[in-house]
Amino acid sequence: MRVNEHPILNFEKGNKVMFYYNGQQLEGFTGETIAAALHANGVRAMRESIHLHRPRGLFCNIGNCSSCLMMVNGKPNVRVCVEKLEEGMMVETQQGKGELK
Amino acid sequence: MTRTADAVVIGGGIVGCATAYNLAKKGLKKVVLVEERYLAGGATGRCGAGVRMQWGTEPNCVLSRDSIKIFENLEEELSYHDSIEFKQSGYLLLAYNEKMVEQFHKNLGLQHKLDIPSRWVTPEECQDLVPHISLQGLHGGTFCHKDGHCNPFKATDAYAKAAQRLGVEILTYTKVTNLLQDRDKISGVETTAGIIETPLVIGCAGAHTMELGRMVGVELPIYPERHQILVTEPVAEKQGPMIMSFYHGIYCQQVPHGGFVMGLGDPNEVKDYDEDSSWQFMHEMAAKITFILPALKDLNVVRQWGGLYDLTPDKTQILGAIPEVPGFYVAAGFSGHGFMIAPVVGELMADVMLGEQPKYPIDMYGVKRFESGELYVEPSVV
Ligand SMILES: Cc1cc2nc3c(=O)[nH]c(=O)nc-3n(C[C@H](O)[C@H](O)[C@H](O)COP(=O)(O)OP(=O)(O)OC[C@H]3O[C@@H](n4cnc5c(N)ncnc54)[C@H](O)[C@@H]3O)c2cc1C
Repeated sequence: MRVNEHPILNFEKGNKVMFYYNGQQLEGFTGETIAAALHANGVRAMRESIHLHRPRGLFCNIGNCSSCLMMVNGKPNVRVCVEKLEEGMMVETQQGKGELK
Repeated sequence: MTRTADAVVIGGGIVGCATAYNLAKKGLKKVVLVEERYLAGGATGRCGAGVRMQWGTEPNCVLSRDSIKIFENLEEELSYHDSIEFKQSGYLLLAYNEKMVEQFHKNLGLQHKLDIPSRWVTPEECQDLVPHISLQGLHGGTFCHKDGHCNPFKATDAYAKAAQRLGVEILTYTKVTNLLQDRDKISGVETTAGIIETPLVIGCAGAHTMELGRMVGVELPIYPERHQILVTEPVAEKQGPMIMSFYHGIYCQQVPHGGFVMGLGDPNEVKDYDEDSSWQFMHEMAAKITFILPALKDLNVVRQWGGLYDLTPDKTQILGAIPEVPGFYVAAGFSGHGFMIAPVVGELMADVMLGEQPKYPIDMYGVKRFESGELYVEPSVV
């Protein structure tokens, strides 16, 4: 699913770009968030819960809740609901709490 | 409703809970603890909960050294089935100029006399202990592997639950509004839940202990001062020791959960009861911590808050009886380090309140020192 029309907001679709999700090549558009691109590709689970390792998906979708933290280009704890997609991005499911380099 | 008690403890922070526990442990039957908010709702639940023996005055060295021995076995002593999260990976105090190097060596001399296992570390050794530390401007530091930090909520909870098992009654969301006297002697406390008649009262109300003093006409030299602190998102374990720089006025630790907790002292802070947090703090904290620990620049801050230090003119706590008001005792004025010495303070206060000989003399912490001028100015505070 991808939001194309909205009563108040404008969704301008940018250029088509290619990115990687856990090594798998997917397509998205510049101007949309990583989370939006993942959703459009059917990916719902963004992270694992820390203690019980259960899947976590979008919850607040505004950068507050930590439910969608992923590794992006090797950097842990990226809130993919507010991070914009870029060509060639490496998006990965994060194992554990993430390492600070 | 009027009730009676053998003793009333005012304040449900770590000091009040530890004192109530020790009073009950020594056999006092009816102890009531009165807390205006919730347990650990004051400075205790807002603090860094750092625990260190590396101090610059003998009283603080001794109180913290012996408290750390208690923290090491606290869960067992209090039959606590949870963890107080005591992470004993040391405290690294950093020196950024020659004056500090000198002061630190003086402190080491004192600490070694008191069997505290601290040592001087070169900048390179600092980096062995904390690999992500920047060497810029660093002259070295001192390190004590027995230091560390706890979870202040859990430690308070451990004391409170053990106290309750021994019969202590805890009244939360109840405020002490007046202290009652029979001539000079304490005869009770007036609270928002009624009067409690009692011959023994101890004020462990942090900065608010000053107000308790005024209720019986005593001016206690205790002033509130806001200190701010923040916590970041959790990451995998990266930092063992807690670091502290008196030059920058900051401290920073990684708690077992994975978040980094850090705070700073602002020398221009106004002395009032403001507990809010400010964006200026966030700005300054970020600038200072990324100078010392550049790797932290990628961490997101989850939350920031403020709490009150209860300061005295010599930055040393006031412990003991208030001579003008028989039956009234005070344990306050901890000046930013009351968490780490609370285990011993709780024991000492129970001893003096019950007329027993405390395990070490506490006269030097008495309020009279501000008249006689025998002060203990602590050089090592943030
Ligand atoms: C940001 C910050 C960082 C700190 N870092 C450290 C640290 O790393 N290590 C360390 O050892 N210490 C630290 N401290 C200091 C430490 O928090 C305190 O010294 C310690 O918690 C004092 O405990 P307390 O029980 O005396 O006071 P508090 O925890 O403040 O408890 C006093 C209680 O009394 C209650 N009260 C007040 N008035 C009344 C009334 N009239 N009736 C009923 N109840 C009342 C309050 O609600 C409060 O809960 C820090 C403090 C702050 C603010």
